[in-house]
Amino acid sequence: MANKRNAAIFAALIVAAVAGILVWRPTVIIYGLQAAGLYASIAIPMGLILGIVHIVNLAHGEFMMVAAYLTYMVCTALGIDPFVAMIPVALVTALVGFIVYKLTIRQALKAPELNQLILTFGLAISLTQLANLLFTSQTRKMSFGYVSASLSIGELSFGVYNFVFVAIAVLMVIGLRLFLTRTTAGKAALAVGQNPKGAAIVGIDVDKTYGLVFALATGMVGMMGAIFITRSSIFPAVGSPFTMKSFCLIAMAGIGNIPGILGASVLLGISENFLKAFRETRGWADIVFFVLIITVILGRSIKGKKA
Amino acid sequence: MKKALLVIMIIALAVSAFAMGAKEATGTAPAGAAPIKIGATWPLADITGKQGSMAAQQAVDEINAAGGVLGRKLELIVVDDELKADKGAAAIEKLVTVDNVDLLIGGMASGVALGQIPVMKKYAKVVISTGAASYKVEEGLGAEADWYFHLHPWDYNQGQSYADGWEAIQKKFGNVKIQKIFLAYEEGAFGKASFDASKTLFGGRYTFDGAPFKSAAFGGGDYASVLEAAKKYGPDLFLWAGYDADALPMLEQAKAMKFNPGIYLGAPPGWPADFGKSPLAENVMLYGMWAPSINGVSPASKKFYDGFMAKYNTEPATYFAPLSYSAVYIAADAIKRAGSTDTAALIKALAATNYASPLGQTITFTPSNIIKHQGVKNQKILQWQKGRQEVIWPFESATAAPVYPFPAWK
Repeated sequence: MANKRNAAIFAALIVAAVAGILVWRPTVIIYGLQAAGLYASIAIPMGLILGIVHIVNLAHGEFMMVAAYLTYMVCTALGIDPFVAMIPVALVTALVGFIVYKLTIRQALKAPELNQLILTFGLAISLTQLANLLFTSQTRKMSFGYVSASLSIGELSFGVYNFVFVAIAVLMVIGLRLFLTRTTAGKAALAVGQNPKGAAIVGIDVDKTYGLVFALATGMVGMMGAIFITRSSIFPAVGSPFTMKSFCLIAMAGIGNIPGILGASVLLGISENFLKAFRETRGWADIVFFVLIITVILGRSIKGKKA
Repeated sequence: MKKALLVIMIIALAVSAFAMGAKEATGTAPAGAAPIKIGATWPLADITGKQGSMAAQQAVDEINAAGGVLGRKLELIVVDDELKADKGAAAIEKLVTVDNVDLLIGGMASGVALGQIPVMKKYAKVVISTGAASYKVEEGLGAEADWYFHLHPWDYNQGQSYADGWEAIQKKFGNVKIQKIFLAYEEGAFGKASFDASKTLFGGRYTFDGAPFKSAAFGGGDYASVLEAAKKYGPDLFLWAGYDADALPMLEQAKAMKFNPGIYLGAPPGWPADFGKSPLAENVMLYGMWAPSINGVSPASKKFYDGFMAKYNTEPATYFAPLSYSAVYIAADAIKRAGSTDTAALIKALAATNYASPLGQTITFTPSNIIKHQGVKNQKILQWQKGRQEVIWPFESATAAPVYPFPAWK
């Protein structure tokens, strides 16, 4: 009873804080949510791999970078929109992910975690250098009119395009939930993620499931790479900062907690933009990121000990 | 026996054919004379270094095709500094001790140059530097480094030339009025240094303010808060100091937020590929040293540009290309006048350089705050007009009049 009351008070406080910020500085919420959408939609595929295959894919951002370059080539050659190109690009990236899994990740699954980290780190460096050789370090950016879509309320004018990432993140969470709970392959993936040995005993092909999940996740991040080029410039090192950010968001949410990644991203996005709203704290966005991670993980540890 | 004779004849034929081919490839310089070795370091994975080395090779090939220097061929030996100070220092050590180069050229980042200075001082070889804008490099060199010829303007040279440029533009074009300047700067060392330098430079003459942002080059790319601060400030001149990855996304967000400063100016070290093709690029101003439009007012620029296009089938994208090309020509000219590659003679000849460069200006060496031999001391103010970078100032190399104010977003 007391717990329920505490939870209700906590929820009321959050609603009041959000309402207060919305009135005082609406852009904190607007841009905070937009940033959260981008963070979450890149982190969710990594969370899927970590939750089921139990491997930290340090080449996650680089897969997105490869997909972004692929989309750039397809769009410039055929004159099509990235939203059209994202389906074939996602399929190609998924195939590449599956091949990479079979050739490399699979061989290191039973190896110590450090070896797995070194392997995916090596993959990340290889992909970056390959892009450097093929495309040079010069940045590329395609211009699309809809990216500057704007909404004006009174004197406030703000971009609305980046809400597309919020929609993508929400769709990813819903889609993955449906996949994992309503399909045979998804249920098998969930079982493998929870207990691979037990899953193997009941006849689930663990290796095949790992391959499928890895391909699905790389396909999803490939799709994100296609959409990423609508808002951002691309260059060989564009993906690596997102790998670290994604990993930290997953750590905040808790491994295997896909909806939690969305929540952690909202917390991070709004906190960052809250600090950016003050002249004195504009440069603190990166610090708040690590403060939040430390606080959440520490809080969880203390709670776990008490329990 | 006959078979052996046949084999010997075939080998002899192959060797003579190879020798003839080699002679053709080496141009008209005498085959016996040892080449003059020019050692160079650039970051080859970066477009500045890559194109800098390509342009230097173009100059070497042109000079060799015209007979070389003092009857000897030029040979360019390039080592990648990987944008790292330790690699840059090791590259100089290798070029001097293993390759035995006669002089050194190149360079881009100030951090790398700072790492190279101790090695350069140790050997005191002639250096024609194409990069390193930080005044800290000059401080590291000291006044006694008479072997160091610096082509690129120092940061304080650049700042002063911007101030001079805006004064001159406001005088010539009565409609251009600047009172308030806002600088959006990337939160790293480059942006912070730009903010400090600009505040000192513009703070007295203009009302000045600024705010940091995280560059897309380092995982940022959200400019909403900095643009919001700028919009609230209402600047006549909005200037951003970041990287090429920030150029178009920042414009897209500025348009979405309906942010319309009188002048929208970017100061990245390079621009994204095909930036000029974006409709958002129109009338954006920039600082730089060279643009293809200078071909129209400078025959040296046209010669460089045409040669680069013919050799590589791609357009020079940064001013490091004409600057590196100039370094080779300046070196060749000095060696010719010195009559040897002896360091003392070469320093004397280089000090008397008077070279009509592709930058659209004549390069001479004069003292700067500390060193004795500073080449270029000014930057140019340019504007993207119809997909081309047009020079607005200095007026002697101007290729177009400024479009002012920056048109309102449609």
